[in-house]
Amino acid sequence: MSFLSQPILWGLFAATIPVIIHLLNRRRFRTVKWAATSFLLKASRESRGKKKLKHFLILACRALAIAALIFAVARPLIGGFLGSGSGSVGTVVLILDRSASMETKPGSGQLSHRQSVINKIAEAVENMGSPRLVLIDSASGEIQEVPSPDALSELSTTYATDTRADIPTLLTKAIDYLDETNPGQSEIWVASDLQRGDWQPSDSRWGAIQAGLEGLPTKTNLRILTAGEETVENLTLELLASRRIEDDLFLDLKLTRLEGDGTTTIPITYSLKGTRNSERVTMNGQELRFQKRFPLTAADPEGYGWVGIPPDNNPRDNSVYFAFGGKEPVKSWIVSEDPTSPTAGYLQKAAAPAGFERYSCEVVAPTQTTKIDWATASLIIWQAPIPTGAVASQLNDFVTSGGSALFFPPNQPSPGVIFGTSWGEIVDAPADQFFINGTWIKDDGPWQNGTNDTALPVDQVRGVKRRSIQGDGSSLAEWDDGSPLLYRQLEGLGTSIFISTLPDDRWSNIEFVALHLVAIQRLLEQGTDRLHAGYRAVAGSDKARAREDEVRERLDTFEDYEPALEHYRAGVYRLGDRTIAVNRPSEENSPTRIDEEALDELLKGTSYTLFANDDSKSDLVSEAWRAFLVAVLLFLLAEALLCLQPKSTGRPSLKASANTSPAS
Amino acid sequence: MKYDFLDTDVLARLGALPLESRTPMIGSVAGRHRSPHRGSSVEFAEYRKYVPGDDTRRLDWKAYARSDRYYIKEFEADTNLRAYFVVDSSGSMNFSSGDHPTKIDFARRIAATLSYLIVNQGDSAGLSCCNEKLHLEIPPSRRAAQLQAIFDSLQNLEPTGGTGLVSALHQIAEKIQQRALVVILSDLFVDTDELGDALQHLRFRKHDIAMFHLLDPQEVDFHFERPHRFVDLEDGTTIVAEPNLIADEYHAALKEFLANVETKCHDVHADYHLFQTSADYEEIISNFITTRLTKKR
Repeated sequence: MSFLSQPILWGLFAATIPVIIHLLNRRRFRTVKWAATSFLLKASRESRGKKKLKHFLILACRALAIAALIFAVARPLIGGFLGSGSGSVGTVVLILDRSASMETKPGSGQLSHRQSVINKIAEAVENMGSPRLVLIDSASGEIQEVPSPDALSELSTTYATDTRADIPTLLTKAIDYLDETNPGQSEIWVASDLQRGDWQPSDSRWGAIQAGLEGLPTKTNLRILTAGEETVENLTLELLASRRIEDDLFLDLKLTRLEGDGTTTIPITYSLKGTRNSERVTMNGQELRFQKRFPLTAADPEGYGWVGIPPDNNPRDNSVYFAFGGKEPVKSWIVSEDPTSPTAGYLQKAAAPAGFERYSCEVVAPTQTTKIDWATASLIIWQAPIPTGAVASQLNDFVTSGGSALFFPPNQPSPGVIFGTSWGEIVDAPADQFFINGTWIKDDGPWQNGTNDTALPVDQVRGVKRRSIQGDGSSLAEWDDGSPLLYRQLEGLGTSIFISTLPDDRWSNIEFVALHLVAIQRLLEQGTDRLHAGYRAVAGSDKARAREDEVRERLDTFEDYEPALEHYRAGVYRLGDRTIAVNRPSEENSPTRIDEEALDELLKGTSYTLFANDDSKSDLVSEAWRAFLVAVLLFLLAEALLCLQPKSTGRPSLKASANTSPAS
Repeated sequence: MKYDFLDTDVLARLGALPLESRTPMIGSVAGRHRSPHRGSSVEFAEYRKYVPGDDTRRLDWKAYARSDRYYIKEFEADTNLRAYFVVDSSGSMNFSSGDHPTKIDFARRIAATLSYLIVNQGDSAGLSCCNEKLHLEIPPSRRAAQLQAIFDSLQNLEPTGGTGLVSALHQIAEKIQQRALVVILSDLFVDTDELGDALQHLRFRKHDIAMFHLLDPQEVDFHFERPHRFVDLEDGTTIVAEPNLIADEYHAALKEFLANVETKCHDVHADYHLFQTSADYEEIISNFITTRLTKKR
């Protein structure tokens, strides 16, 4: 509980007045000489317990009535949000998470978490005597003074968006603002659903945020208003990748649901250039990945569309958007220690299969890497000692920007390290024995199951020679002794894959089971995806923003265009002469939230309070003076009842019955 | 010397009322009260057979004529009354609230007035005063000078010390050889069981007991507005209490006490009179005397 007029609480000392009067009254006794002391003693003994208790209760009622009156005058605020000990607040800095996940509704017909929070905060601010309200919304990140709590829900800067929230950045802004303006007694309120992607627990700025909060000129409470604990039923559609290969458009899609794991059939609506069709997918489990292929014609140099699922508890994660352009050449480079070796030949065939005109692959020696056109390359296959210096830097930039790199073990010594990974010793299998595959991850990586969940023949891999891999990446497939066979290191937007043996009979049968082909083609897809990035943008990013000379026009028909939200909403837009599909950031598709323990760690040393918004709690903060006035009346009534003397036994009657029987 | 406790107008008004004994008295001289012995009064008592040695003058010749047998006609003997006034002069008798007289003053008025009436009607009156012990004894006498002694003693009585009424009554019961009227004036703030024993002792000695139980109105009402420190009049014990909190318990204790006292008095056929010092003592004495007239057997 907190109070709007906290200084009035000093008046609580007045609650001692009845006790003081009582004590003074006890000291102001009169002295009287008395004869019937024996009755007095007996009466005092008998009344000691019950009467004293009653007297204490009367005193307590009087004291409590005064205390309740003081509390009522001090204008108490109740509601767990403000916690206890909060005084009058001059400025409230509200950090509003407008990310897509905040649009989750606890149930059909109810307000989204964002709307509910805005309404309750507006009421709370009003109940607190309308302190100055400063809004920092997660989409724009701008600081805006809100003229009145009522206006909060009307501001376009509180509307729903498909962006993500960068809570560390927003908190830093709030701290800087308070530090610079020093507006006196202030509080920072964060309205967020604690989505892990928004809070970024691994961000290095949390230490500075803790120090910043502690170092503010006045003690500032941080209050976090989050969604309720309950998990609602919701289906999320995510676009993993979209790419045009020849005359086909491939969409890699993922459905995730939060509740239920039974078999469900979900209707999916596809719209391509205004033409809609739908089909059903059967989902069994919490997640479903599937691929949709749209056949295109040569007359389709570019196009766009969307994919949607039926409305559910979060309308912002029911659609994804895509746009595509013409055919892009798929170029890969092989850096081989021996460009004339059969191994290089196998790899080249796998990267540029015969009959696929758009696919090309060039083999170069490590000394010829200057030939590589890094800008147009989709995949770099490196079967040579790990590079160092400028080449290593170029390779690093290539992968970080979304390119794919596939490393095979060289026969030569390779002391270099790249992406935290290096080659170890070459090991031969014992005589008459093979290295055989132990386990592999079937739902991730280049050797994951196909879209129809068909497993690759990884268990058929036999090796006679391998080179150990040293690094802190993750093993996607292992030999039977636990040594990595397929190893991945993520770097920026791209992926680097290490395979510990060669598609060469002298090393293994990978070439025979064509696993190198699968890995190369899948990595080529990923790498090519980078080249289509011009048609994609993340909601809220600069790329989705219209430039000065561009006019924004929404192309898709999934929902109405909201001009005020500009680049914060997902959709397909024409910006000048470019077409761009804006989607939610992938972080917004993850339902993972940070728990209280993690929050404690992030805000260690700060006095923050966490309050779960729940529809059952009508108000975050409400004035409770009426309740205290009622309490005053009740205490006074109780005091009056206690003071009422019970029907007295009365003074004794002195009508003595004289004996009328004289002695004989 | 003028005695405050004597009102001549009251004495004049009450002078016409005879104070009667409820039981036969054994006196030394002839009087107006019944005696357990046969005497020469005009009131017929019984016939009895003549035995040799009887005074022949007392033979009832008319009875002889009717029955041809000798009968002696006997008459009631009348004797005088000896009254012992036992006045409690303990410290508690010195209590008074408001404009009322103290209990000892009230006791003085009653004892003095009754003494006057008794001596004036030819009976004997004596006075015993006790606090922790029996400290004053004036044997009963029917002489006029007796009144002077009683009045002086009452005048000089200073209530102080504890209440030794019970032991005093035992002593008096032992000392009085012949039947008498024992008039007790006290607030009776003693153990009621012990008091009962003392009264039984007097009853055993065939005394006629009259009990004047005196209480101050404040002792009955126990009405105080604020906390008080009560100082005991007898032993100086101090009790700080809030009377409005304990009034019920006080009244209950007082009621129990009064009921006990009345029961003890009833057990010994004592003539029990309970009243407050705010009452009109003339009316009390008048009632006392008249009720005794009706109770006389």
